[in-house]
Amino acid sequence: MENYLANLGVLICVYSILAITLNFIMGYAGIFSLAHAVFFGFGAYTGGFIALNYTSSIFVTLPAAMIVAAVLSLLLAIPTLRVRGEYFVAASLGLQILAVTLFSEWKWFTGGIGGLVGIPPVSIFGTEIFRPTSFVIVTLVALVVTIAIFHLLVHSNFGRSLRAIRDSESAAAAFGKNVPVIKTVSLAISAALAGMVGALYASYLAFINVESFMLDTSVLIMAMVIIGGTGTQLGPIVGAIVLLSLPSAITYLNFLPQSEIGAIQQIIYGAGMALLMLFRPGGIVGSGGK
Amino acid sequence: MLALQLTLTGLQAGALYALTAVGFSLIFGSTRVFHFAHGATFALAAYLFYAVEAAGYGFVPGLLASFAGAIAFGLAIDWFIYRPIQRDEGSFFTVFVASFGIGIVVQNLIGMIFGRSFVTITSPLSRSREILDGVYVAPLAGIAFVVALICLVALGLFLRTTFTGKGLRALSDDPELVRVFGLNPRYLSAAAFAIGSALVVPAAVFTSMSSGLNPAIGHHVMLISLAATIVGGIGSIPGTMIAAFIFGLAENLSLLWFEPQWSEAVVFAILFAAIIARPSGLMGKSAAR
Repeated sequence: MENYLANLGVLICVYSILAITLNFIMGYAGIFSLAHAVFFGFGAYTGGFIALNYTSSIFVTLPAAMIVAAVLSLLLAIPTLRVRGEYFVAASLGLQILAVTLFSEWKWFTGGIGGLVGIPPVSIFGTEIFRPTSFVIVTLVALVVTIAIFHLLVHSNFGRSLRAIRDSESAAAAFGKNVPVIKTVSLAISAALAGMVGALYASYLAFINVESFMLDTSVLIMAMVIIGGTGTQLGPIVGAIVLLSLPSAITYLNFLPQSEIGAIQQIIYGAGMALLMLFRPGGIVGSGGK
Repeated sequence: MLALQLTLTGLQAGALYALTAVGFSLIFGSTRVFHFAHGATFALAAYLFYAVEAAGYGFVPGLLASFAGAIAFGLAIDWFIYRPIQRDEGSFFTVFVASFGIGIVVQNLIGMIFGRSFVTITSPLSRSREILDGVYVAPLAGIAFVVALICLVALGLFLRTTFTGKGLRALSDDPELVRVFGLNPRYLSAAAFAIGSALVVPAAVFTSMSSGLNPAIGHHVMLISLAATIVGGIGSIPGTMIAAFIFGLAENLSLLWFEPQWSEAVVFAILFAAIIARPSGLMGKSAAR
């Protein structure tokens, strides 16, 4: 029971961090990415690869994962964020579909379809942390740090520029803000932290394969942000908790076919997204009405 | 010989891509709605055809069911989702998320009803014949190519000669002016959705008879449609058509050098290169911003 709760706690922290990082670019920079699971995945594979082959020290795996994810996001952002928002949606969808092929084919780095097996647990100053009850503390710390980073960012000069861009890109540009650079930097920060949590996730599960980083995951993270409340600080966490408790809630409803839990869950949040946009675009936490 | 074979397959794939992409491009160009659920329209049309045909009712009832389903879905989503959102000056974001949500629902309903594995309709026409030494073509591929060309030419004529067609092109240029001119933008937007969704049907039917269907097929369709719209130039129907043919040919000709699982990577590479080299698209009217 204790382990079950700790495990749920780890998952909630991991997905909250993913949702917070995606919310930062969606809600503050106005970038709609369908590729968030790609940054998460590259972080996970980088962390897992280093832990398997070199060292499992958190002070190596996490920075490496962050750098790889950030560099990848720059490759995507530099050409596409200069132009219209729709272009980025298309490019990120393309990247997500391409990444699934890459993760399943690039055997020496990702282990192919079979994935990376036996990833050692994280080590902090030589202490290995693998029990869910202790790992949940690591992820909680990561969550608090993430919240703090984005709180500071949103309330800094940079955050004000971001909001100006979101509200009117041309007005912000007229005021001398370098819009593409600000957007690109936001995406890189967001991707880096998604990559970081990927490395934590890989070492916690000790096994990763492509199934954790497919389009479904990107969509799930996006649904967490939207249902919780885009552009709010609490929304992504609320969204992560709500959507992660859905599968167990469905299990309690005996009249639903249990083999279809995944599909039912997706139908619920798909319909939820559409209905919220009709009646409450701000999400659960966001200001009501329109 | 292999190159010729792949060129022929690529032309057929390109023709089917052109139909779906042009449908999306028409809707997006004239109504400015980022209709992400267009991929769901494709999946719905294809599975309706499959259901009716597999139940033994035959080809024509299947085709009719597919048309009826696609058009009804397009009109309903415009009427019940996009219009209420746009009435409250919904942003790109709200429309996109709602459309995306609907797409997820449709994909999973199809998965629950028909299962998640590949299904296909076999017909004597889909059996390949050797037309040249080592070059195989199914009669169906030729039929699909011709039907697609007829649809595209008919669409071009419709947009150039009829009153509604001209109105649709005007709507993409200046919706306010259309209103001042006394045309009803509501009616035009419904027309765009009906035509755009109907164009998907031949592509969906031919796909179900050749390469087969799975519930997630909408994503691939959407990627191609989006990519072709962007590479062709937003608002340009001919540009979208050309880009769709480029994608069909590139996907197939890439098999000369790469394994088939990389075909989507080829689409991505072309899209990426096009955004870098020519952000306004092949035949884009305005600059990219």
